[in-house]
Amino acid sequence: MAVEQEQTNKREPLIRDYWRRYRRTARGIVILMEIVVTLIVGLSLLFSDIDPSGTAFWATMAATLLATTALNFFILDFLLTPLRDLAMAVTNAAGEKPTDPLANPNAPRYSKNGFKPLLQFIYEHAHDEESAGEEKSGSKTSPQLKRLESALHETNTGFIIMDAHGKIQYANHAAPVKHDTDDSLQLELLFETNNSFENWLANCRETAVRSEQSWIRVPNRIVGDEERRIFNITANYEKGSAAEVVIVAYDATGIFQPEDDELDFISFAAHELRGPITVIRGYLDVLEMELDDQLQDDQRELFKRLVVSANRLSGYINNILNTSKYDRRHLQVHLAEENLGGIYDSIKDDMQLRAQSQRRLLSVDLPSSLPTIAADRSSIGEVLSNLIDNALKYSNDGGSVSVTAATEGNFVKVSVTDNGIGIPSSVIGNLFHKFYRSHRSRETVAGTGIGLYLCKAIVESHGGQIGVTSTEGQGSTFTFTVPIYSSVKDKLQANDYTNAGLISSNDGWIKNHSKYIS
Amino acid sequence: MAIKSILVIEDDRFIGEMYVRSLKHEGYDVDWVVDGHDGLVAVTSKPYDLMMLDIMLPEMRGPEILKALRGGKVDKIPNTRIIVMTNFDQDDESRMAMQHDVDAYLIKAEITPRKLVEVIKAFDKPAPVGEQ
Repeated sequence: MAVEQEQTNKREPLIRDYWRRYRRTARGIVILMEIVVTLIVGLSLLFSDIDPSGTAFWATMAATLLATTALNFFILDFLLTPLRDLAMAVTNAAGEKPTDPLANPNAPRYSKNGFKPLLQFIYEHAHDEESAGEEKSGSKTSPQLKRLESALHETNTGFIIMDAHGKIQYANHAAPVKHDTDDSLQLELLFETNNSFENWLANCRETAVRSEQSWIRVPNRIVGDEERRIFNITANYEKGSAAEVVIVAYDATGIFQPEDDELDFISFAAHELRGPITVIRGYLDVLEMELDDQLQDDQRELFKRLVVSANRLSGYINNILNTSKYDRRHLQVHLAEENLGGIYDSIKDDMQLRAQSQRRLLSVDLPSSLPTIAADRSSIGEVLSNLIDNALKYSNDGGSVSVTAATEGNFVKVSVTDNGIGIPSSVIGNLFHKFYRSHRSRETVAGTGIGLYLCKAIVESHGGQIGVTSTEGQGSTFTFTVPIYSSVKDKLQANDYTNAGLISSNDGWIKNHSKYIS
Repeated sequence: MAIKSILVIEDDRFIGEMYVRSLKHEGYDVDWVVDGHDGLVAVTSKPYDLMMLDIMLPEMRGPEILKALRGGKVDKIPNTRIIVMTNFDQDDESRMAMQHDVDAYLIKAEITPRKLVEVIKAFDKPAPVGEQ
């Protein structure tokens, strides 16, 4: 009690303190009044000349004292009880711990005297407040909060709050989230690189106090899904905050969707182009074989140009088809033990021909002593030919392009270096984005702007990484890594020789891949 | 056993002639049929060293022909190699299933006649292994 008293002194005055204090005062006043009344009665008896030592005097005094005491007890109880019950009900409604037991509004006398509805009103009101408080995590809903909430509900920008366990605590109406099987909320976003959000978060938890990260062009569903939206995402991390991760998903579907539709159409068209280009390349081959000894040297050169152009066209068509395939998260690849030199051999003739016809020197040094890699032959062939083709395109007349490889940890690292125009540092970060083409190259060099995007997709689907270093005016070096076969052999075997084990350890798309296969 | 005789089952005239002509130019003995049913009859009536099989065919599709030839307990053409030619990537499952029964699985857009000849010549290099 003493402790409590001390606390009350330090605290702001509480509602529950009122009742006891008031009761104390009321009792004090009543006792004081009783004494005063008794004194007045005594004095008036004395003035009436009644013998103070006689029985009559004391009998009257005693009767007065008794009567006033009884009367006061009754009045006190009658007046204070409803006040006590009211005070306790209000104390309780205010969320404080009542000092006296709460009154039962159903007590017969309350039903009779009409106090019941009064009490009930307070109790019910208190209940509303409580449940509202629970929903809104303990705080009383102020008008501002309500306004904020309805604004969040109306906006088409997604807003998500996660706690320290990665559990979604709040997601507004537009947020890209879905209900999991156990009814918990999960992010519904297909990041370009698998798990890049999870990795960022894990990294933040380990090393950062505060961090911010953005992703652009992140869809929530695969292409073709009616509810597909495309977001630009910003995530903020603040260690220890009640809202540890705040994700803002700006809906940019209007910006990106037309491009995607276009790609969809292009990939449909590309399918149609594949037949004729196969025939053109095939007959060029046939003609070249048949006419080999009849062609003049300059005609042979023309022939080469035909072949190079047809091959390049075929490459673009493949790029477009593979990009739409990757966008639909279809790029599950079967990885086998391959020899890098062997893969290059399959595109060698084509590459040398391209270099020759553009008067570039292409030197390729992929020693057979390199360890074997875990690769999908045609995909890595495509990465190589895209990078070499780029290097040739952005080289100067008579320039040279060199391809080398070396072991680096558990990976083989391949470098494609040119001495060409180089890449300004301001655009280097955008290079691997879909459709990205620098202003300069839009004007001067042909291309679709998806080659590097696709390379990145393919390399990452192998569990490798792709990167670039460049000095403007001096040239660029593109590098990518592919895992050494022996280092991933076990993982491959466990996953039926697919890349699933290499690129995804938890809920990645590969795991859910089967549902996307038509 | 070097490959000499080849049966091409391909319904697209352009593509078919492309292969047939280049293979003949390389000195192979080539027959060409344009529907699946004729293909099955042809390959079982004459011992070819190699059969080139398209997937989408009239009358009888490539996988059905494969099943008829190698689906049972007895391989009906044990001395014939098979190359499957397809227009585009099939989904992995059917591809894996077919790859099991054939010697090569090629995508037309990736294989020019010259490369096809290389693939066929590569069959001759190592001593034929006793695959089923």
